Amino acid sequence: MGQTIAEKILSRHNLAQQPVRAGEFIGARIDGAMCHYQFMDIHRLAVDAGFKEGFPRVWDTERVFLLVDHHQPALSQAYADENILIRKEAQRLGIKYFHDAEPGIAHQMMPDYGYVRPGELVVGNDSHTIAYGALNAGSTGMTRADTLYVLLFGEVWFQVPQSVKIVLEGRQPNYPIAKDIILHLAGLYGDDFAQNMAIEFTGPLVPQLSIDSRMCLATHGVEVAAKFAVFPCDGETCEYLRMRTAKPYEPVAADADAVYEKEIVLDVDEMPFAVAKPHNFGNVRPVDEVAGIKIDQAQIGSCSNGRFEDIEIAARMLKGRKVAKGVRFVVSPSSQQVYLECMKAGLIQQLVESGAHVVTPGCGICQPKVGYVSAGEVCITATTRNFRGRKGSLDAQLYLGGPLTVTAAAVAGKIVNPKEVFDEI
Amino acid sequence: MKFDLNRVIRGRVWKFGDSVDTDSINPFYKYSTMEELKKHTLESFRPEFPKEVKPGDIIVGGRNFGCGSHRPATVLREVGVAAIVVESASRLFLRNTIALPMPIFVTPGINAIVRDGETLEIDYQANRARNVATGAVVAIPKFPPTIERIYECGGLPQLARQRYLAETAR
Repeated sequence: MGQTIAEKILSRHNLAQQPVRAGEFIGARIDGAMCHYQFMDIHRLAVDAGFKEGFPRVWDTERVFLLVDHHQPALSQAYADENILIRKEAQRLGIKYFHDAEPGIAHQMMPDYGYVRPGELVVGNDSHTIAYGALNAGSTGMTRADTLYVLLFGEVWFQVPQSVKIVLEGRQPNYPIAKDIILHLAGLYGDDFAQNMAIEFTGPLVPQLSIDSRMCLATHGVEVAAKFAVFPCDGETCEYLRMRTAKPYEPVAADADAVYEKEIVLDVDEMPFAVAKPHNFGNVRPVDEVAGIKIDQAQIGSCSNGRFEDIEIAARMLKGRKVAKGVRFVVSPSSQQVYLECMKAGLIQQLVESGAHVVTPGCGICQPKVGYVSAGEVCITATTRNFRGRKGSLDAQLYLGGPLTVTAAAVAGKIVNPKEVFDEI
Repeated sequence: MKFDLNRVIRGRVWKFGDSVDTDSINPFYKYSTMEELKKHTLESFRPEFPKEVKPGDIIVGGRNFGCGSHRPATVLREVGVAAIVVESASRLFLRNTIALPMPIFVTPGINAIVRDGETLEIDYQANRARNVATGAVVAIPKFPPTIERIYECGGLPQLARQRYLAETAR
């Protein structure tokens, strides 16, 4: 009986050096640990457990990636003070890969800097660490306590997941559809259809998907409750990595006779633009069924949709158009590298000319740190989540959509089918 | 804090539906201190919860409880919740609640045997949850040894500490 990608990755990393099967509990060796701006919360857990001076060590100073991300420059005195402590700890522990003076989102910066490779097992203290499956890695979020354990020993417990195969069919249009795909699936099968499982993305659409789109889909694995969300390693992956890492890697593919818990086939040619209504990722309707709802704020950014192609489609559609009067259209690139790429392509200028706000790379527009919304207001956002209260008031209405749908809403001042606003697509 | 798996837990039930998210449980974006969090936890689903929850109460949730971020549920421990019993739990919420230990039991069928405000009795050793008023019972699955060991140590940070001391003493 063959193995899935998850079974292969965890077999490679099994401390007991035995092949594993779905359902088993194992101790796994970790290739890389991402820690973000809440590092001191992990430090404090260590202190509470009896490590009076904090971590006595990290298991490998070259396998811990510490990124003081989410909110740079510091949002408050408390953030600034915390950042000082992180800097001291990073130096004391000798952590080699430390980014503390750069705005951005860890899940963009990790791939940007070539810290993740195919076949690796990578964890981090953030639920969206699942993102690196876009690069054929087994990556997943861990809790602070799990991360503490990883930082000390380079190991952590896993239950080997069942796998769900998602076969994507159809043709990539001339705009990104990754968000529509995952929303559509969550709408059809529920926001936990992959609970504790590994998703494998496959099918004829996959080679047509950009790395940006794969990152959006992998990141959103956690919104459908997955442990891993993995893409195959293909030419596109290797080309992306060639410019970023010189370290060798061993891609992983499923066996032909691997066993899946379920298989889902989606033809994207038949798929409508998808919108999640308040206040759950799985509360999804075709855009036509929610059309006409007036909006106050539109947003594009975060670890799901702050990438080049998300910002490119917004800028392309805004050419010769303006953001509707009274609507705040807020765009945040996911990293400095993405920001620079967008700037060189003239996208930032286009956004500003059309009336959008462009804000510093980071997580601010996805959490209520930048661009709060008020009671009674409506926000449509291409970011990660629309839980009640996530943008401030518990009485604001939060919708999720893809970057094209969000841009159309920003131009029309209401939720609308993008094809009615943009006749060129 | 140590949680003894041998202890029987009995408490008043607060029922919640599906996909209760960690933004609601732990809205740290808006409230940065534990005292503030205690006043707002779960208010987006049940505004009366933070005002009326009493030490020893039990949360009974639907599927995908604790979906969303990696943030822990320690605020629920702080307001005195004695146990969380759910149809299914988000993976990270489950890991968190085991690692910073508080009793959590993924117990399919729990919703059908108990109503809001009733008293639930949880007996892990006997592998069952029981509605004290009606006598209705549902089976609590046993944890694998990996997880029982974390509970026995008083949490994953404590397990890490013990392992570190054992290794460095050699």
